[in-house]
Amino acid sequence: MTSAIRDPAGLPYLPAHLEVVREAAPQAELRLRVAATDFDLAARALKDAGARFVTVFLADTPEPALVGAFALQGELIVLRAPSSDGGAHAATAIGDWWPAARWPAQELLERQHPTVGDHPTRHRLTAPDADLLDHRVAGLDVFTIPYGPVRSGIFEAIQFQIETGGEDVPHIQTRPFFKHRGREQRFVGLTPDDGVYVAERVAGIATVAYATAYSQAVERALDTPPPARAERWRAVYGELERMACHLDVIAKEAETTALYVGQARFQILKEQVQRLRARLTGSRFARGAIVPGGVRRDGAIALDELLAAVDHFERDLRRDRRLFLGTASMTDRLIGAGRLDRTLVEEYSAIGPLARGSGLSTDTRHERPYGDYERLGVRVITRPEGDAMARVNVRFGELAESLRLLRQAIDQLRRHDGQLANPLPASGSGAAFGWAEAPQGELVIWVEIRDGLIHRVHIASPSLRNWALFDHAFPRDVLTDFAFIEHSFGLTPAGADR
Amino acid sequence: MLEWIARGLHKRRITTRYPHREERAPAGFRGSIAVLDPEDAASDLARLCPTGAITVDPQRRLRVDQGRCILCGACVQAAPERFAFEHRYETAARTRSALTVPQDAEPAVEPLRATLGEQARALRRSIHVRHIDCGSDGSEEWEIQALWNPYYDIQRLGFFLTAAPRHADVLLVTGPVTTAMRQPLERTWQVMPAPKALVAVGTDACSGGLSVPGELGAGGVDALLAVDVYVPGSPPPPIAIMHGLLLAAGLLVNDAVAL
Repeated sequence: MTSAIRDPAGLPYLPAHLEVVREAAPQAELRLRVAATDFDLAARALKDAGARFVTVFLADTPEPALVGAFALQGELIVLRAPSSDGGAHAATAIGDWWPAARWPAQELLERQHPTVGDHPTRHRLTAPDADLLDHRVAGLDVFTIPYGPVRSGIFEAIQFQIETGGEDVPHIQTRPFFKHRGREQRFVGLTPDDGVYVAERVAGIATVAYATAYSQAVERALDTPPPARAERWRAVYGELERMACHLDVIAKEAETTALYVGQARFQILKEQVQRLRARLTGSRFARGAIVPGGVRRDGAIALDELLAAVDHFERDLRRDRRLFLGTASMTDRLIGAGRLDRTLVEEYSAIGPLARGSGLSTDTRHERPYGDYERLGVRVITRPEGDAMARVNVRFGELAESLRLLRQAIDQLRRHDGQLANPLPASGSGAAFGWAEAPQGELVIWVEIRDGLIHRVHIASPSLRNWALFDHAFPRDVLTDFAFIEHSFGLTPAGADR
Repeated sequence: MLEWIARGLHKRRITTRYPHREERAPAGFRGSIAVLDPEDAASDLARLCPTGAITVDPQRRLRVDQGRCILCGACVQAAPERFAFEHRYETAARTRSALTVPQDAEPAVEPLRATLGEQARALRRSIHVRHIDCGSDGSEEWEIQALWNPYYDIQRLGFFLTAAPRHADVLLVTGPVTTAMRQPLERTWQVMPAPKALVAVGTDACSGGLSVPGELGAGGVDALLAVDVYVPGSPPPPIAIMHGLLLAAGLLVNDAVAL
């Protein structure tokens, strides 16, 4: 632990000799300005204090600066180091000693210096080459299988280089960024209202989470909180999205064990959620439902009908869950597969069902409650085992919790009427973080607005942050466990690559 | 296991009868944008669209390119007298120009028609489908996967998923084709044996959609390869993709089912 106890900003976890200036910030955000040379030191102190790494990037408001975001004690701690040269090298320094920061720092460096190629295989993280194989393998009779970016089945593009001797998997290298479409740049110059269309299409399966996090960033930057009714609808859409994503993971696990009846049953449940969302919002992914400042309109079906649909769904889910968990051919493949140690998960600052399956009680809805979750109160579901079964069990638990939250939110919607959206100021300026718990984990979005137009956006997606752990998920597993472990992660390359 | 089966049996049929019977979209479904009044339009209507799908020609006629439309609804909200959502599923078309609404009086020439008919005879009733993701947002994959779930069950129409491009007859492409995916896409298409058909799934694949044009490439699939069927939508619902697959296989000729 750092020896310091007091410092000018009144923060016990930072060394006393560090010069820190506390800046004005929206609620639950703590902005600290440090010198560029002290950035590394401050980040180390935060890590020692148990902070979770969130992201590191270059901000441009109020001046060009290297920004690091860390989650600690219900706050988002934002280290800001103004620097004229962008300071990407200070960020790479963090990546050297904090595994969680490795990919974000590497991405930052490569984007700033397009010629940097300091990876041992000359492989660039952000410009992957499917043909470039890593030929240094771990032993005799070990070979590399390049799996992806074109994959068997209907999966998103990502590449895994699997080193194997046939059975055990001594090493895996994950290569994201095949899908990099420049979504963050696409925001630039749009009005905050139009920006939500881009946010919804960063990671399509988490449309609501992205729209919510983006809208909250805009609302916090422009100091225009949404009305309570809008927050309730956002919670309804958000929980339905979580249910669809979790059911998708469970159906895919059933498919992998060739439990086709189980697969069909959970696909049916997922399709029911998608259809309910289509009836509610006109889109199977609830696109166009959330706007910065609130929601576009009330859900299109009566609240009693919605509640009846929730009840009906719960009856079906309960039976299928009992059958799923009682099918030994299913659970035997999941128990013990892809075990992730809690210390490893902490070191990589992992989040979402992945972290909760390794005993870490982390959930943005609980840590930094936003919108309706301040009133709803989320029960965080955790399992200590750290294997694929634990991650599936966490998802089953969260399905039940989502149904509970849905009922509460619908009940509140029934009792209280109110406005659906507050208009944004026409030519406001500001910069803030927004966050939401996506089905994949904590999603954080930074938005800068200048004179009514978006100036810069940075997205810290849960998928990129969790995927770094995949290389470590095969301690005692064999090649045939690959699909189980991948599905139990439940991540989306679209979000990781942006 | 018996209980699983019993659970499946006591439910009635949930599988759609499409394409033999029409599948209705729910009220309010955002299927596509219709132009209610194309004449005498102000040129600033084009500015309503974040992807440039709306155009106003010198004769002040209004056009919407559904291949560029991401169904955000900005136009419907700003000018409800001009634009409206159509609550329909079947949005696929054989040519890029056929996606522009309203269509001009004379029908667009469809040069691919004959080849597709020939392909259909060769492929009918056992059509193997391969998918490649070239930078989608992930939702298109969900909707394609849904085709094999009990609600849509596309296997009843003779469509099968295959893991190898060398066994595939139809290639489904999603995403605007990012730089890193250009070569994998070209290779996949090359190794597929003829006759073969290429289906662009989603607005991103049809035109690039929201993607940044320029250095990231990403101008849609037909900037690189000839596309047989376009399925616009962001994302297109399963029935729309099924419609596209049936068109690609030539099973839906002049919108009548030829099974």
